[in-house]
Order: sequence, then C-alpha cells, then structure tokens
Amino acid sequence: MNTLNKKAGQDAMGEQPWWVAQWMDLINSYRYKRRLERAWAYMHEGHVLSIRFEGRRVHARVQGTGKDPYKVKLWLDTLSNEDWGYVLDALSQKARWTAQLLAGVMPQDIERAFAASGRCLFPWELREVRSECSCPDKANPCKHIIAVYYLMGDRFSEDPFVLFQLRGRTRQQLLDQLAQRRISTTTEQGVKVQTGMLPPQARRTWSYGEDMDPELVVITPALEGELGVDEAGPLPVAPDPHNPDANHLFLHHLHEQGQRIGRRAMGQAMGANISP
Amino acid sequence: MSLLHALWDGDGLVLWADGWCLVDRQTPVDQPLMHPFTLGRQDLRHCLTSRQRLPQAPLQPVDRLLSLPSRDLRRSRRRRGRSRENGSGSEWEVWSGLPLLAGEAIPEQCQWWPWRIEGLKLALADLPGWLNGLPLSGEHPDLGDELRWLAHLQRWCLSLMARGRWLPVAEATGDHCYARWQPLLNREDDRYRLETMALHMPQALLSGHDPLNTLACRRPEQQRLQVAGIVAALLDTQMRVAFTPLEVGLDDLLDSWQQALASTEGRLGANADGVERLQMATSHWRQGVTGQLAPARACLELQAPTPQQGDQDDNHWQLRFGLQAAIDPSLWLDAEAIWAAGDNAIHIGEIPVEKPSQLLLEGLGRALSAFEPLERGLEGATPSIMDLTPAEVFVLVRTASRRLRDLGVGVKLPDTLSGGLAGRIGLSIQADLSPESQGFSLGESLQWRWTLMIGGQPITLNQLERLSAQKSPLVSHGGQWVELRPGDIKTAEKFCLEEPRFSLEDALRLAGNDLETLQRLPVHRFEAGPRLQQVLEQYHHHKQPDPLPAPEGFCGQLRSYQERGLGWLAFLYRFGQGACLADDMGLGKTIQLLAFLQYLKVQKELQRPVLLVCPTSVMTNWGREAQQFTPGLRVIEHYGSRRPSTAAALASALCHVDLVLTSYGLLQRDLAILGSYGWQGVVLDEAQAIKNSTSKQSAAAREVSRLGQKPCFCIALTGTPVENRVGEIWPLMNFLNPRVLGEEGFFRQRYRLPIERYGDMASLRDLRRRVGPFILRRLKTDQSIISDLPEKIELNEWCGLSDEQRRLYSKTVDDTLEVVARAPLGERHGQVLGLLTKLKQICNHPALALQEQEVSQDFGRRSAKLQRLEEILDELMAVGDRALLFTQFARWGHLLKQYLEQRFQGDIPFLHGGSSKAERQGMVDRFQQDPRGPQLFLLSLKAGGVGLNLTRASHVIHIDRWWNPAVENQATDRAYRIGQTNRVMVHKFITSGSLEENIDRMIREKARLAEDIIGGREGWLAGLEINDIKELVSLQ
Repeated sequence: MNTLNKKAGQDAMGEQPWWVAQWMDLINSYRYKRRLERAWAYMHEGHVLSIRFEGRRVHARVQGTGKDPYKVKLWLDTLSNEDWGYVLDALSQKARWTAQLLAGVMPQDIERAFAASGRCLFPWELREVRSECSCPDKANPCKHIIAVYYLMGDRFSEDPFVLFQLRGRTRQQLLDQLAQRRISTTTEQGVKVQTGMLPPQARRTWSYGEDMDPELVVITPALEGELGVDEAGPLPVAPDPHNPDANHLFLHHLHEQGQRIGRRAMGQAMGANISP
Repeated sequence: MSLLHALWDGDGLVLWADGWCLVDRQTPVDQPLMHPFTLGRQDLRHCLTSRQRLPQAPLQPVDRLLSLPSRDLRRSRRRRGRSRENGSGSEWEVWSGLPLLAGEAIPEQCQWWPWRIEGLKLALADLPGWLNGLPLSGEHPDLGDELRWLAHLQRWCLSLMARGRWLPVAEATGDHCYARWQPLLNREDDRYRLETMALHMPQALLSGHDPLNTLACRRPEQQRLQVAGIVAALLDTQMRVAFTPLEVGLDDLLDSWQQALASTEGRLGANADGVERLQMATSHWRQGVTGQLAPARACLELQAPTPQQGDQDDNHWQLRFGLQAAIDPSLWLDAEAIWAAGDNAIHIGEIPVEKPSQLLLEGLGRALSAFEPLERGLEGATPSIMDLTPAEVFVLVRTASRRLRDLGVGVKLPDTLSGGLAGRIGLSIQADLSPESQGFSLGESLQWRWTLMIGGQPITLNQLERLSAQKSPLVSHGGQWVELRPGDIKTAEKFCLEEPRFSLEDALRLAGNDLETLQRLPVHRFEAGPRLQQVLEQYHHHKQPDPLPAPEGFCGQLRSYQERGLGWLAFLYRFGQGACLADDMGLGKTIQLLAFLQYLKVQKELQRPVLLVCPTSVMTNWGREAQQFTPGLRVIEHYGSRRPSTAAALASALCHVDLVLTSYGLLQRDLAILGSYGWQGVVLDEAQAIKNSTSKQSAAAREVSRLGQKPCFCIALTGTPVENRVGEIWPLMNFLNPRVLGEEGFFRQRYRLPIERYGDMASLRDLRRRVGPFILRRLKTDQSIISDLPEKIELNEWCGLSDEQRRLYSKTVDDTLEVVARAPLGERHGQVLGLLTKLKQICNHPALALQEQEVSQDFGRRSAKLQRLEEILDELMAVGDRALLFTQFARWGHLLKQYLEQRFQGDIPFLHGGSSKAERQGMVDRFQQDPRGPQLFLLSLKAGGVGLNLTRASHVIHIDRWWNPAVENQATDRAYRIGQTNRVMVHKFITSGSLEENIDRMIREKARLAEDIIGGREGWLAGLEINDIKELVSLQ
C-alpha cells in the first residue's frame, strides 16, 4: 500500500507520514512549551481562518482577540537555480525518486538528493522558517504563527509537494525538468510518432461487429477488500480537529455504500436487456 | 425499414433514425443540408413507440450536424479542361451527392460532408435505464450498431459498479469545482476493454462532436479518452442516484462533498479553501491506485533461472522492467530501449507511446507500494533488471502480482507459474484404436498409455514425492519452475492407484476441447494414433468427410460435396449417432438422403422401413425425386383418408416397403400407430418444424423414434442455419442425440439465457463444440462448393394441391371439356386457352380462379403451392438472401403482395404492367441499393421480364409456368447477369399431376411441340383432339 496513503489520513494522534512527523518535530523543538500548547489549542478551536499557498509563500489569516484577523506569512529560503540544478542531477541518478514523485509519494530519503546541492528540503531548525505576523506580540514565533505551523502539518499530509513549492519549484516543474533531463541524456532518437490527426475510418462509421466480452455475461461482485475505495486506502484529507473520526467514518460509509450499490448493479444486470 | 441511430452529446444521447427513400442528389448551398434520409421527429417518435423503445423520460427535440461519409454524385468532370483554359474554377460543378447509409458499401476514398438531422435527446440521467433495456446481441435490423455498442458499454458500467471500481473525487471544470464519481480503469481487463471498445466504436456515435474537426481527422489517442469520458459520464450519473449520504457525523467539508456526490449536478459550493484542499487530496488519493490512460503500462517480467546456469545458480531469479501494450499484453518493450529513447515517443509493435519513460517510472512508483523488494532494483538511474530471492519470487507469484495488476502494473510470469492449469500436475496421453476395432462405438476402450506431467515435463510419482519433500512452494523440475499444491499431488496419487480406462468417448472429448480434464487431472498433451486420428478428425469436422461414391442403383450424379455428405451420413450412422444435414437450400439434401438410403439398401442394412416426416407441401416432391433417383426404393405415403388406421394394418401395408412418407400433422395424429412400429430410421425433413419444443408436433417427432423399442437412426434435414439459433437447437438435438445437451431446463440455464440475452460467446463456442460433430452445413458460397456448382442452378419445386384446389380443378376440367366437345371447331381454340389459364390459376390459388379481391382469413392454407412458397421464402430470408418472384398473373401478384407483406411484416414491391416509369425505377433502385431493403421482389413476367438489372437477387422463383422457356429464361436473367457474384438458384414451381407437370414434360421432352410453343404460335392447340386435350389437363 502506498506510503502516502497508508499514513497520511490517519487521525492526528496516530502514525503520521514521515514528512509530517518531521515538520511536527521541528515545531515541538521550540523551547516555550506553554506557547506551543496555547497555539495547539488555538488551532483546534478553529482560529486559523485560512491558509493559502501563493507561490513560495504561505498566507494565513488567524482570528486573534482583535476584530480583524491577523495576517501571517511564512516562507523558506528558496534554492537558487544552480542549487536546483544539482538537486535535479542527483534526483535523476536514482529511478526510484522520480518514480515515487510521479506516483504521488514523497521519497523517504529525498534529503539525500538535496544534500548534493549542500542544501536541504526540510528546514532543520525553526529559525529557517521565516515568518511574520501582524499581531502586536513582539515574540516570533507568536502563537498565531505556531497555530499556522500546526495546520501546515495537516496540509503536508494532503500534499507533501507543497514543500518543493516553498523551495522554489512546484512538483510539476520538477517533473518536467526531470523529463527534460531524460531526453537530453538519450542515446537514441525516438521514433517520430504522428501526433497529428489521422484520417477518419469511414468503414467504421456505422459498424460494430463485436460480440459482448464474455466476462460481462455474468456480472460479479468485488471480492472482500477489493472495492476501489478499499484499495485506495485512507483519504488524505487532513482530519477536522473537532471531528478526527470523520474521515474514517466516511470511508467506512463509502465501503458499505459500495457493497450495496454493487448488489444493486448486479440485480440490474440480471434483469436487464430483455427485449420486449 | 428505418434504422435507429445514436449520437453522443456530452450530457445525453441524441436519438435519430434514417430510412431509405428515393431522393435526388443534394447540393449544399450556403449551409449544410438536411440529411435526406433522416426521419422527421414525428416519425421518429412514432418509430420509437411502435418498437417499444420510447424512453419513459422526456425527450428534448434537437437538431444536430453530423459529418458523414458521402457519395459523390457529380455527374461529370468534363468541364475540367475548359475551366483550366478559362483560368477560373467557377465552372467546376459544385459538390453534390448523398450521405451513405449504414450497410452500404463505403468506398475506399469517400468524402465527408455535414448533414443536418432532427433528433430527440435523452438526458444523461435517464440514459442508463434506457440502455439497460437494449438487446446485447442478436439480429435487430431496426437498431444501429451504435446502440449495441452503447448497450455493451453500459453493461461494462454495471460491472464496474458491481466490482466497486470507482473513486469519488473533487475536480475543477472551468471556474467551478464538482464532486464526481470516477471509474477506476486500472485493472488489466478493464484497460483492455477500454482499448477494444475505443477501437471498435462506430464512429457515427461521435460524428456530431465538433463537426468541423471530425470532418478532417481524428486521433486514436482522443478516441480512447472520449470513450473513457462516456464511461465516466454513465457511471457518474448512476452513482449519484445510487449513493445515499451519511446522515450525521461528518465535518462540514466532507459533508458538503458527499452531498454534492449525491446531487444531480454535483457542484461544490462555498468554502473555496476547503474545496481546493479536497481537490488536491483526492487527486493524490487517485494517483496512488491508478495512472493516466495511456496506450501502454509499466510491466514486470519474472524470469526463471535457466538450467544452463547449473545447480549453484539455481536460484537466480530475475525481474525485468518494461512497457506492455494495453490492447495486447504480448507486446512488450524492454526498459533499456525506453531509457534510450528518454521521453521521446516510441512504438511498441504498431502502437505509438508518448513519454514512455515517464509512463514506466510512474508505474514503477505505484508498483513499489505493492512489492517492496522492487525498491532495491530502482537505485540506478536507468534500471532494467534486478535479482530476486526465491522467497521474494514466491511473494510475487502468490500475492503481489494480483495487487500489482490492480494498480495497473502488468506482471508477466513464466507460463508454468501463471496460475492456469498449464502449470499444474496433469496427464500426457497417447492412444489408438485397438487393432480389431473399427472405431465405431463410443463406449469402446482404447489402447492407451499415460504419464504424469508437470511444467511440460513428464514426471514419475516417485519424483513427485521427492519434490514435495523439499517443502518449498516453488520447485524446479526438468528445467521448469512450478508451484506444487498439496491438493494436486493427492489427485495424482489417486489417479495412479485407480488405473482408469480410456474410451473412445473420452478421446472425442479431449480432441474437441482445450484444457479438458480426465478424473480431475488436466490433460496437457493428447496424441492420437493414426487410426484414431482419422476418426477424430472426421468427427470434429477438422477435415472434410471422406466421400462415398453414389451407390449402385442410384440414378443420377452426385457432385463431389454430395459424395462427402453421403460419406458423413454413413459415418455417423456407424457411430449410432443422429445427424443433421443442414446444407444451404439448393445443394441437394434430398438427393444425399436418398443416396444414403440406397447405400443402406445395397449394403443389405436396410432391414425395416424408414419413416420420413416432412411438411405436406413437399411430400409430392419427395415422391418425385425418389422415383427419379432411387427407383429401387419402394416408397409409399402414409397420407390421406385411406391410410392404415391400426398398427396391424400399418404393419401389413409396410411389407417390402423401404421408405414411408408422412406429414408432421399426421405424425402427431397417428403417433400411437406410427410409434408402435419398429422403424429402422426416422428422418425429419424441414426439421425447423420441430423448433418449438413445447408444441405437440415437436414432441411427437422427437418421440416417434424412441417408442419403437428397436434401434433406430435419426436424421434431420434443414436449410436454416440451425447452429446460430440457440432456441431451436435443443429440440433438434433432443431428437438426434438426447444426451448431448441434456434436459431442456439445464440447456436453458447453461446456454440459452447466456447466449440469447447477453451474447455470451464463450457459451456459444462451447455449445457449437458440443453440437458441431452432428451438424453438417455447407453454404453455396463456400469456396469448395462454389467450384462444384454451375452458375445457375435449376430446381423443380414439386407441390401438390389442397383439397379445395383439387375439387375446383376437377370440376373445371369436367365442365369445360363437356362444353369444348360440343363447341364448333372455330371456338374450340379460345375455349381451350381459357381452360388452360383457369387451371393454371387454380394451381396457384383458388382465390385467383374465383376472382376474389381480398386475402381471406385462411388464405395460406387454401393453396399447397403457397405453403411451399412460404417455406422457401422463410429459408432464404433467414440466411439474408434476396429473391425475385415472377408470375404471369398480375392479380396473383397483388394477392401475394397483400398476403406476404402481412406474413413477413415488411414492404414487398410488385412491379407490373400498371406501374409508372417512376415507380418502376423507384422499386428497382430500392431493391438494388437500400441496404435494409426488401428481400423479395414480385414482378409480372411481362412487365418485369426484360430490361431490368436486379443482380442483388440470388434466387429467382417462377411461381407458375409459361409455355415458352425462353420467356422464363429471359426473366431469370434479371438476376443472372453481369454483376452477379453469387450462384443463382432458379426455383420452378410445378404442381404435380396437373397441367403444369404436363407443360413441364412437354417443354423438356417434346422438342417439336416446344418449338411450336417457343414460336409463340398456339395454333397447335386447335389441332388437338379432345382426347389429347383431356390428357393434357386431367389430374393424375
């Protein structure tokens, strides 16, 4: 089962994907534990009104004691193009990294690729995470910022590639550039594939001479645990702090509905296609 | 008949219909023209209603533009030269033509033009229910193939829902985000289905989609996505209805999502931030289990250690990476070639694949989650192969391969490990007939040797035990790796202990099917010795039956396929198996059967009489043919009021008789008497008469051979394609060989329902394999037959008279002859001519002679000739042939038209002297061109006998005789002329014992008279003595 999926959606108390855990460790390394607790509660009470990733920055609105929400900004130092060049070189040396990134999985050892540039993907220390808050509190990070930190952990579980974005490349850019590299290192010219239009096949305008696939004669149900929702695993939507069980509940409901709808479809298939 | 079509409209289906009519070529002016063959909305609705296909949901009237292949009908291009001189294109004739219809031959080079159609649109939500009601198979001349394709697609959707192959997602379309149910087409079989459905989709279904674009060209890539889009739309709309949201317990985001999933439109509102998260999360969720819909997928190929590597290296398993084509898993491209190409497009076989390396990497990324050892193999930049330990191989074979396939990653295992019977312990068998056997009894034991076999290698029981002692799930034997299953070992041990026998019946079964089992062991190899092989091949029609020359005493020539037919009848007779000779009409089933009976007689095997049951209408024909070809057979009819009425009377009547003819009706009535007699054989002619298994007629025919307490061979003759009519095959086999298909209830469940309702080819193939040995059907179009046939085959269709015809005929003869005898010589000529005409009319139908204008209730029963005609038409229409019917009586034509249109439920044109020129041209064009046009064309001999070109017909029927064979031949040549690609069958109806037979004999025998007749001079009639006239017209 997919590592992302296996771990991502489990409730906040349970096992987290490694990149979320790493992010949480970073916050929890903060010395002022009281402030952490308050921020945690703050987040849970829903004070963080919104989080948006805009380019390389995170913009959040946090409802404080004042009338207007405070504006919080978070960002990381981006990698230079040269640094990214090293990272891409390193990434393309190991097929598994590209493979996992393409399949939506954050490789466990991704930092080793970043080490090639002397940089890293994850911030190692809290002070690498730059932040600003419009609140009057002088301390940085203030509890608003930490509340946003916490919530970002959830976001990482939904989309780990946000981290790349904060470092200056979206996942798609990264994948495109990796593909570019594969082309530039090819030893052979690929064949020329006609990508344009093909002439229509006039003979097939009207006719369909095939018999029905014999496998569709008797419509069979899924085996236990083989519904698509079962295979896909937990839903990587960050759980609502007020209702940590909702994801699980919904998946269970989908599973039951899947079985019920499956039986219904079989019934329809059995009664169907009787010519009047 | 109009044909219903469908056009995919993105959010629904536009229904429209076309039907052939006579129109002039069309020239588009400034905007696309109306499709000249399309039905107006009113007619369309009417057509849907009358065929009970009108959806219950509301239909929305719409107009659409279709781009369709069209016939260019510009009359000339002579002006080309001149226009070049003028330097202007203005004198080029503008395009004009007609759209091509379904069923018309589409030329290699055709043009695509836009045509407007009127249609009725069925909304997406109402579509699945309507599609569920469409037939999945069978002949439905009113439904376009698009609809069958859609019905198959919908059935696939039902299967996807039954198997839970979907995921709910949130997706942005335009400015909004929608909750959708998306099909998961990641499994191998579903991906293959998508490829084949896309490949075979009738393009008319999408011909309205962006007409300007389709006018030019289409991309195969696009087609796959379009079909996936239709599947998605159908699935989505059904899931929305079926899904019930959870009532309580969800947070706001999930709740808004599930509410949208259950709503009709599915739009996700409000909470923009949350919707965006949902979109991202569900996209990752989906990526974890399925990739993009590409023409190929990543594939892992397991390679077993090769024996050459020696014992030390015995565990050197390897896993190769590559891409596999979705439409054909055997097409494979190695990873090395893919890395070499980078992301440049490549071909796998003929199939172009774009971004191959990304496709491979993406698949490998998903594969990692299902088979962890793979991680080790992906450390390099361009990996193409890795080693596996035996333990890892076992995990891959037993569990991971299945999971990988579910994720859309192909897995190729060595044949012996891929889970089929091929890798299991089984048998290798060699057998032959014992020297003293002739191979003619099913139960007889054969001489045989067997060995156990695994992975394609023989194995002894000892070796097997030694292997199983290794306690390893995968073992190597003779260089092949196999999976040992404890259950299989037990079965093999049991088999070895029992030492079973092996019968000819077993051999026939093994030779007919692949992957058969014997005592629960799969038979991997079966070798028949030369003598047994002969029997098997003949039995399974793997070769043509051995011919048997015409027996002594058979007066006539057998064509070579008829000799083979005779040989085949004799072959199954030796086996004690019933045979169904189902040759195409006109190939001479009657002759073959008569030759067979004569053969039995010559062999001194015809000890008791044979009962032949046929429709009354052909009884005369049988008598005539027997007289002609096998005068040595003594034939009587069990027919008429003076037939024996007790078993004893029957027995004494049958003394020294060889063949007894009776009708189905009488068989049913006299079953007690006929059944009590110990027939040597029972033959059913026109055996489709017993197709309705619940009818008394069918039951009587099936019983009569079993009541007699004596061995009795069974033969059925029919010209209809029995093997294609699943419903009709059970009574036939029940008559011939009741064991083959078992009880009717079993047959219905096992074969009839799956095949008729779902078009299940696997069941149909199995059924054909079972009944195949007992049915011999040759078509007149078969290459081996066609060379044997003359281009024009003349058949005499002998028929009798009904009681009414007989009475009327005799009375007319008696009355008129009296008058003629008393009349002065000068008037005699006219009176005789009048008599002859009237008698010919009576032979056709009493209604004709009695000047009736309307078709009476019992019209069909009043004429024996008409009954015979209907049988012939039934038969030729069933195989899709077309026929011309000529008559010399226009009124007979009108009556026939009225009656046959009712009987066959369709238009039947009649071309006669009163038809206008335009009407004639219309009828001829329609018959020649309309792809779904009439199969029968009535013509009056005088009006239709010359000048027309009707080569689409391969049958010509002369329902009544003309004095002049040249006139008949001229009419026949309407069909038999340049452009005719088939053999033409000419059916000449002759009422036996009547004037018609005498005319026929005169034409054949009395050349001088015939010449008189040909000369058209009928003066000879006047010269006839009254006795000659009497001889000419009297009933015999």
